Amino acid sequence: MSETAPGANPYKIYWITWAILLVITVAMLAAEMFHLPRLFLVLFLLAFMMVKAAMIGGNFMHLRFERRNLALMVSLGILVTSLILYTFITPESWHVKATSAPASEPAPAAHVE
Amino acid sequence: MEPGAHTATMEAGWGGGVSPFGATWQKTMMWIFIITDALLFSGLLCGYAFLRQANPAPWPDRSHVFSIPFIALMTFILITSSATMGSAVTAARLGDMKKALLNVSMTIVGGAAFLSCQAYEWTHLIREGARLTGPIAGSELIEKGVTSQFTQAFFLLTGFHGSHVLSGLVILLITAIRTSMGKTPSQGVEMAGLYWHFVDLVWVFIFTLFYLL
Repeated sequence: MSETAPGANPYKIYWITWAILLVITVAMLAAEMFHLPRLFLVLFLLAFMMVKAAMIGGNFMHLRFERRNLALMVSLGILVTSLILYTFITPESWHVKATSAPASEPAPAAHVE
Repeated sequence: MEPGAHTATMEAGWGGGVSPFGATWQKTMMWIFIITDALLFSGLLCGYAFLRQANPAPWPDRSHVFSIPFIALMTFILITSSATMGSAVTAARLGDMKKALLNVSMTIVGGAAFLSCQAYEWTHLIREGARLTGPIAGSELIEKGVTSQFTQAFFLLTGFHGSHVLSGLVILLITAIRTSMGKTPSQGVEMAGLYWHFVDLVWVFIFTLFYLL
């Protein structure tokens, strides 16, 4: 499949993607300064992270121009497997936290060298 | 749709055959490698999520531990190197190997700059007392709330990513040398490019999930 229209600058897509990625990165950094509600900030950062990933996968790695079964296998395969893994470990992490020492106690992190 | 046409469509898209993904075997194998490597990072990021969620103490404020503008600079370098790599792939595909070589060389410079920044960041943190097993007793990091879970997540995530950048640089160097000798087909540049973009893609997740969230 052709990736650019005839006569179009074939390098343009990379530099447009680069500029958008840069703007999104700056927006993500700036969002930290606005003291947004935590949940809103987390959703904002996660949404833009996925947009950045989609732009790199689609435009830089050319997944947009590959056959749909390859694009789906790569994107959904990784995403769904990761979500399943995260979903299954999360309750266990809550359990560990609930049975651990409270936050006010010194963390058993430091060691002497 | 006629049943026959439906079968033909399914066969073309999902039925296998000589080229089930409409891609060369090299590209198909590279994608399979990228999927497996992405799952490795997915496991590492989920491990990090576990450590963070199970941590009884509040997770340290990253802006107190790292210089976030410096990490943003590293991100800028990596994104820029991905753009030059994309240009190299297109130039190679169009047969302009001179331009491809120039862009691969710029990508190498970007990758080396990123690795240098990471080496600086590691050195800085280690001098402050961070170790894989946790911060040294009495170090300033403990006052910042840094725990062993934090240093483990940091060194493992950035270390695995850094090792990928390093191997990507080796691949790019070989590609550049072979391109200058006229021995690399355009597909060779494309495969190196896929790997390099993957390294950039992984950084997007580490940057957001570890440094910003």
